[in-house]
Amino acid sequence: MKKISLHTTVNGRACELEIPPNQTLLDLLRDTLGLTGTKRGCEIGQCGACTVLLDGHAVNSCLVLAGQTEGRQITTVEGLAQGEKLTPLQEAFLDHDAVHCGFCTPGMLMSAKDLLKRNPSPTQQEIRAAISGNLCRCTGYLQIVEAVDDAAKRMRHPKK
Amino acid sequence: MKPFDYIACDSMEAACTALDLCRGNARILAGGTDLLLELRRPGTPSPGAIVDISRIASMRGTYERQGEISIRPLTTHAELSRSATLRSWAPFLAIASGAIGSPQIRNRGTIGGNIMNAAACADTVPPLVALGARLTLRSVRGERVVDIGTFFEKPYRTIAREDEVLTLITFIPLPPGVRTAFVKLGRRNALSIARLSVAAVVARDTEGVITEARIVPGAALPVWKRIPEAETMLIGEKASGALFAAAGAKASEVMLGLTGRRWSTEYKEPVLAVLVRRALALCCSDRGEGGGP
Repeated sequence: MKKISLHTTVNGRACELEIPPNQTLLDLLRDTLGLTGTKRGCEIGQCGACTVLLDGHAVNSCLVLAGQTEGRQITTVEGLAQGEKLTPLQEAFLDHDAVHCGFCTPGMLMSAKDLLKRNPSPTQQEIRAAISGNLCRCTGYLQIVEAVDDAAKRMRHPKK
Repeated sequence: MKPFDYIACDSMEAACTALDLCRGNARILAGGTDLLLELRRPGTPSPGAIVDISRIASMRGTYERQGEISIRPLTTHAELSRSATLRSWAPFLAIASGAIGSPQIRNRGTIGGNIMNAAACADTVPPLVALGARLTLRSVRGERVVDIGTFFEKPYRTIAREDEVLTLITFIPLPPGVRTAFVKLGRRNALSIARLSVAAVVARDTEGVITEARIVPGAALPVWKRIPEAETMLIGEKASGALFAAAGAKASEVMLGLTGRRWSTEYKEPVLAVLVRRALALCCSDRGEGGGP
């Protein structure tokens, strides 16, 4: 199996790599680039723990071949905060205790980020639909929905 | 995952050439939401080569031209569910696209993949069969257009040859005033695979008399088809719960005639009747165009 060359941008940083063609985006992020914030869950596209943004859209990184990201922009949970400064979405997750065991949190954040970019004023129903591809085995959905709702408000009315 | 050679294509010409060179020892990669699962499954043989068509930008989008709606095969389910063209001309196809998987799956999965994978639960296929869609297949030998009604041989098997790639899906839009519905039953609200689904089309005249009806069940028959036996019961009648229930019962009877009694019959027989009734009622109500699961 011949390696392929890949040019992609991860969290704003250009990457040039030689990869095996059967490597998934999830494996590339975790094993090759060490970005372990993206979690390995079911690996069949059911749990959403591996959700990242591909050109701004939430995708299951377990269902994308790394080679398919040639020339594309990938954002992982590590790409949200600016240094030590968390985003309003991350702040809201902390303030609402929306993080229980934490395993689903990166995926939830990425699905919520995709939603808030497209829809800055989502209804509760729209938030639930946006995270419907993310499982929280601690069942902390209520706090997660409240956090996304609050984050949307904070982003619409940022503190001076 | 199984090892394979990877051929990234930037045009359909390149994809056709690659498929020709691979002589049947290749799989086409579009959204990958089905193929990657298959490649990870124990016991699946290596595909030899993966021909990746996912970056061919010209194969995305929908457009209306000369009285026909065309959908390019790499259009994602998310794009279709939001498509103004589909919302106007074939709303049940937009609804069905929005009922697939999760937001993440809909951002990757494509209508071309849904058709070519030919899983019995493929949600976009019942509306496309109801619309009488035509599929354009291309290879180095040329192009051919086939009716979707003759395209499927059995679940996961189509008449597409190993070197052919789907390049366009076209259909004649429904006349204004014709109503459509897609209803789906799954095991859970999110990420549900259709246990059964129904796509329906109903046209009524100004007196409210039904002048045309199309009913296509999903995940019910060996291959997708309309149920003329139930459709003709509706023509010339006015909408009523009893009429739709009778059409639903007829659809179940036709299903049993085609599949015989199986382990799942006890469940599917009443459920299909109810889904047909609901789909027809949605077509004749002001509540919208259905949804799932």
